[in-house]
This record gives sequence, structure tokens and C-alpha cells, in this order.
Amino acid sequence: MARSIWKGPFVDAYVLKKAEAARASGRSDVIKIWSRRSTILPQFVGLVFGVYNGQKHVPVNVTEDMIGQKFGEYSPTRTYYGHAADKKAKRK
Amino acid sequence: MDDLICVGAIMGAFGVHGEVRLKSFTADPEAIGSYAPLLTQDGRAFKVQLTRAVANGFAARLSEVRTRDDAEALKGTSLFVPRARLPSLPDDEFYHADLIGLEVRDTGGVLLGRVKSVQNHGAGDILEVQAVGKAGTILLPFTLAVVPTVDLTAGRIVVDPPEGLLD
Repeated sequence: MARSIWKGPFVDAYVLKKAEAARASGRSDVIKIWSRRSTILPQFVGLVFGVYNGQKHVPVNVTEDMIGQKFGEYSPTRTYYGHAADKKAKRK
Repeated sequence: MDDLICVGAIMGAFGVHGEVRLKSFTADPEAIGSYAPLLTQDGRAFKVQLTRAVANGFAARLSEVRTRDDAEALKGTSLFVPRARLPSLPDDEFYHADLIGLEVRDTGGVLLGRVKSVQNHGAGDILEVQAVGKAGTILLPFTLAVVPTVDLTAGRIVVDPPEGLLD
């Protein structure tokens, strides 16, 4: 069952506090969080979070198209090493 | 084998007319056909014609493979292409195969480790660096801010990690 709209998106309070502090400082430090269940809000766009996957903090650069998703979706708990083959990485 | 890149593997025979079941590792699975002729570790070269999609790969016809017995004999064979055959890329785009193994140094020249893998979980590319003298790995976002220099000829990446990323 979907979450009621009147409640608004769920975000752990400490994530909001850390994000606000990071934005106020103007620095581009990684914001380490353990809350995989928190929803990505519009005010997080442009910040870099380190989302814990049970082992380490995976850097997640928040962009507009990620709004409404949960942080945990971008920090998988299992790693698959496939073949590099012709796969490409783009530096943005 | 240093300049060869594994792009697929033969999983076994398909049908009774000498076709093989081919597993593709390329970003676009069908692109494996465009890299032909594909090489094996023992130096054989095969032209590849993909005939249809099957579970977990493609059915394909290889040159010089005429019978099911020939196809079965190739089961487990990895297929390679020379690195030079991959198309050149625009600036700031790199093949994973080129990045893996590069030295990673910070802006002060201190060796941090070597690139172990390149991952993408939907929030941009991430370099996984095997740290020097540590069992664990470091994850670095592959962005211009964090990775200002990629020098493929020198085999080196210079990184400027933000605070908290290396802890």
C-alpha cells in the first residue's frame, strides 16, 4: 500500500540537518548517511551523499531525476563485477 | 593478451546445424557482432553472424564451425577483440578497460592505489580504488571535480577527493 500523500515524503531528521548544514557551509564535502530509507528531496539536488551499504559509503551525486526515490536505491548492498568489454564511463 | 578485451564467451552448441550459444559482455549486447572477427586465447579468429536471440545470449554462426560437434568443442571459450578495434571516444569519456589498473594519486602526488573497477548504480560513474596497504577499497565519484586528470598514456589518474571520502 502506498504512503498517504498527507504525510509527505519520509526523511530521517538527521539527514535533513546534515544537508542543510552542508548547503549553508557551501563546501562540497561528502555527507555520510546511514539512512537508506530516506526519500531524496528537491533541496538535496547538487549535494553528494555517502550512502552506507552495510560495508562502505557509496558516493551518490544527487540530480533532479532522482527526486522521490530512496537513497538506498543508489547504494547496492551486493557488488557484481562483470566484464569491462566496451563499457564506457563519462566524466561529468 | 594485454591489449585484448574480452567481449563474450561461447556457452555451448545451439541446434544441430553448427550454431553456438553466445554470451555477450558488451554494453549493447548485439554490438558483439560488429567487432568481428573475434579472437580466442589460442589465436583462432572467427567471423560472427548473430542469428537470433536466445535465453541469456544469442545463437550465432561462427566461420569454420560447421557441425554441432565443432560447436560443442568450443564450449567455455572466451572471445576477445584487440583494444585498437574499439571506436575512439569523445573527451571525458573512457572505456572501463582503459581505466582499470591505472595508478591513482592525490594532488600532492601520494599514491592512493589502483583502479579496481568502474561501477554505475544510477547516480553517476564511480571508481573503485584498491587502496595501498589496506584490505578495503575506496569509492570515488568519476566527476571533473574529484578526478581532474586522467592520463592514459602515463597510466595515472589524479584525484582531489572531498573531505570525508577517504575515511
